[in-house]
Amino acid sequence: MWDAALIALERFADPLHIGMLMAGVLAGTVIGILPGMGGIASVAILLPFIFKLDVNTAMVLLIGSVAVVHTSDTITSVLIGTPGSAASATTVLDGHPLAKQGQAGRALSAAFLSSLIGGLIGAVFLTLSLPIARPLVLLFGSPELLMLCVLGLSFAGFLTGSQPLKGAMSACLGLLLGSVGAAPTEAVYRYSFDQLYLLDGIPLVGVALGVFGIAEIVDLLAKGGQISERIGLGGGWIQGMKDVMHHWGIVVRGSLIGVWAGILPGIGATAGSWMAYGHVVAMARDRERFGKGDIRGVIGPESANNSVEAGDLIPTLLFSVPGGAPSAILLGALYFYGIQPGPRMVQENLDLVFTIIWGFAFANAIGAGLCLLLSPALARLTWVPFGKLAPAIVVTIFIGAFQSSQDFGDLFVLLGLGIVGWLMKQLGWARAPFLVGFVLSKPTEQYLWLSISRYGAEWLWRPGVIVMGLLLLATIVWIIYGKFKGKQSFDEESTEGPPALGKTASILFTVFILVILTGAAYEAISYPYLGAIFPVAATVPAIFMAVIQVVFDLRAPAVGVGPEARNRTRTAMGYFLSLVLYFFLIWFFGFLIATALFTFLFLYGWVKMPLSRTLSYTACLVGVAALLGWMLGLYWPEGLLGGW
Amino acid sequence: MKKIGFKARRSMCSLLAGCGLALALAAQALAAAPYYEGKTIQVIVPFPVAGGSDVWIRTIAPYLEKHMAGSPKFTVRNIGGGRAIPGMMEFARKVTSDGLLVLVSSATNYFPVLLGDKAAKYDFGQWKPLLVNPVGGVVYVSPGSGVKRAEDLAKAKDLIYGGISAIGLDMIPLISFELLELDARGGLGFKGRGDARIAFERGETNIDYQTTPAYNAAVVPLIKEGKAIPLMTFGQLDDNGNIVRDPAVPDLPTVPEVYEKIKGKKPSGKFWDTYKIFMPSAFAVQKILWVHRDAPAEALRAFYAASDRLGKDKEFVTKTSKILGGYPLMRGDRLEKTILQAFQIDAQTQRFVREWVGKKYHVKLD
Repeated sequence: MWDAALIALERFADPLHIGMLMAGVLAGTVIGILPGMGGIASVAILLPFIFKLDVNTAMVLLIGSVAVVHTSDTITSVLIGTPGSAASATTVLDGHPLAKQGQAGRALSAAFLSSLIGGLIGAVFLTLSLPIARPLVLLFGSPELLMLCVLGLSFAGFLTGSQPLKGAMSACLGLLLGSVGAAPTEAVYRYSFDQLYLLDGIPLVGVALGVFGIAEIVDLLAKGGQISERIGLGGGWIQGMKDVMHHWGIVVRGSLIGVWAGILPGIGATAGSWMAYGHVVAMARDRERFGKGDIRGVIGPESANNSVEAGDLIPTLLFSVPGGAPSAILLGALYFYGIQPGPRMVQENLDLVFTIIWGFAFANAIGAGLCLLLSPALARLTWVPFGKLAPAIVVTIFIGAFQSSQDFGDLFVLLGLGIVGWLMKQLGWARAPFLVGFVLSKPTEQYLWLSISRYGAEWLWRPGVIVMGLLLLATIVWIIYGKFKGKQSFDEESTEGPPALGKTASILFTVFILVILTGAAYEAISYPYLGAIFPVAATVPAIFMAVIQVVFDLRAPAVGVGPEARNRTRTAMGYFLSLVLYFFLIWFFGFLIATALFTFLFLYGWVKMPLSRTLSYTACLVGVAALLGWMLGLYWPEGLLGGW
Repeated sequence: MKKIGFKARRSMCSLLAGCGLALALAAQALAAAPYYEGKTIQVIVPFPVAGGSDVWIRTIAPYLEKHMAGSPKFTVRNIGGGRAIPGMMEFARKVTSDGLLVLVSSATNYFPVLLGDKAAKYDFGQWKPLLVNPVGGVVYVSPGSGVKRAEDLAKAKDLIYGGISAIGLDMIPLISFELLELDARGGLGFKGRGDARIAFERGETNIDYQTTPAYNAAVVPLIKEGKAIPLMTFGQLDDNGNIVRDPAVPDLPTVPEVYEKIKGKKPSGKFWDTYKIFMPSAFAVQKILWVHRDAPAEALRAFYAASDRLGKDKEFVTKTSKILGGYPLMRGDRLEKTILQAFQIDAQTQRFVREWVGKKYHVKLD
């Protein structure tokens, strides 16, 4: 086995391979920085170029970009609170507050170093487990995977913040949203309302970008000014690295959680990052700062989401079952070269496996270095008045959301969840459990059903299930104990300053949620039995919780909402409507014209940028957007009134 | 009128001859330029990147570029999701008779048509098939099932099968189980055939099928380790439309053969009618490349001729046999009748199938 490793290593002495690796890393880094674009975009862009290359070079190129996407996606998560990719939404929770406190440098360097180490640990684990990987994966049956998903969901309990009822309902809403689309159990399409778009469910990218990205952008615009009030990154860089060294336990544990999230089918990078985050919160003695800028909340998920990609390679290469969307493309590329991943891979193509592993490891190193180099410049963006950055960010987010299904539905999801996310943020509804519920909804249901249908009730007595059941019980007890003790636990950073929305708004929102839950439960009853169980189980408890919450809201003391706060709310709504306007402009005039109009109006009319600057900014942005669209193979529909 | 002098007539003649020659040469030059010279053909794949159809076209495209007259470049556009309907509709909307837009289709696109699902608003009658690639399907069981040969299936108990959707390709194995009256339960909801295969390896299902490429790559090693037992295939079609043994796995009997062995007579009945109707588009003509039916004859010829040449290209045959299972790439024009027939279904059988998936698998079709 080790001579194959050496042969693969020698390949990297060839400048062509190094060059391809760098090209892949560059592509992955740039794509990762753009919000909403993750591994799949970076690989999809490179795909047309591989067909002239030999298999080793092609794999090096592709793995180079896959490996670094989760390193560079941290940048927008930290700096502008918009997830660079869905898995990096976790980093927003603590990374962004740190940036607002002027500690962007610390957050970024800690994130990059954790990503690097996480990726390397993942690669080492991958190598060591190659001989036993197949039996290892097969040990986990549906019941064990179910318990893992439930465990992941329970971690959401740590993230519900100071209003656990709302947090729990958040999780239920996430589960409900996740059940839209084809049910894993019956051939029924749930909540599709005759829309072809909804048959495949709601895309994760739109949800992450909407709930965290749009909500944050609207907030930042309403607040005005720059992202960071404090000037000076100072010695933040060194501090960040010291933090990683100090919390090395979190790095190791996060990486291991990530690797396993990649290895086991059903748990992806997003679920893996959340589980790592939840575990960090759970194990922490003092939890007050989580959600407000605790560096541990950056280190844990960042080590996890890089090692996930390493773990993903196991099902991809050894079982020919892609671990995630980028691995699916990797798989397709291997088929193109006549390589068939599977049980024979380790015997017949071990050197190729090692080429991929080495490529992964090197890419992680180079990518982290590249990001560290770029970050000082990028961190300065936090000093720029946000209004000037906003159009570029908004346009990129729209592109990122649109490339999931290339359908206007993507933008609906983005904006719809954007407003919901913003409201949740203002009214103290934790968003982390929402995303966790959303991501784990389908796997949990699938494994639950598979366990029951295959094993009857016996699945509960399997040793693995019992062990994890005990762990689950311990987790729940721990959560309740913590709340009981009044431990000031994790609280998502709410908007700064006085609350923008008062008691009435809070009650109305809760009632709105109650209506949605009831409607969903009612609709679910009409589904055939197996397809109905999960949505009903998700909505009915939540309905009770919502009623209780309404009672609480009614009895809560009236919150004075000053004129300043009311003003902020109005401003926020105004900005949100401008995004909706952008959407309609795209609908009527096509993407490029709409982008030009939106950018121009926003900068000239609102931000009051001088005309010449506005024009050049607009021209640049439209050009870049067109280039990006072309590279990603995006086909924006023609505007209703013509135009492109 | 002045008579045209002899000298003038001679020069006029040479002038005319010269023009004639020039015209003839020009005409030849124009006629000689292949239709696809310098052109790019866009392929719409109504499935996500790296799916079976996507890999198929990306694998053969470079060879088409090499062997097609005019060496057109191929670009691939993936439009996945929505049961492949949006991708099909985009092609239907945008395709013109210039032959520069083509479509890859697979079983997922044919079944809605056969089932009379109104959601599938596309019409294959508007298009012409250019290239066709059969795919095979192999059924295998785990040693724990107690089944050693296909005949044992009749006595087997508690067969559990993992599938994706009752109205997708899984319908063929599910119909086969009904036809053979097996004690088999179909559990649906897996994300893909790969996931179902892992469940088989875990021991959560004990009967499974894979398409031939996946079978060769992932199941044959299991067979060698004694962890899987191959039983039968769904068969292929011969030139007369009869179901014959799959040339990629000629040692295994087909489903109708197994029926005969178990029941002692030739297959008949409603499930057999369904099998006969759905199997061709499911496997025998699974992958089809389509173009607008009014595309110029030269464009069509370019594809057909390339297909012939590809069959003789050793590199192509070796490389693709691993990926595509070893079935020859075939000319669409020779299979037009088969394809046309593959999309036909009589009202009675359609009603029967719709009722069956509705009652047993709770599928509601418009």
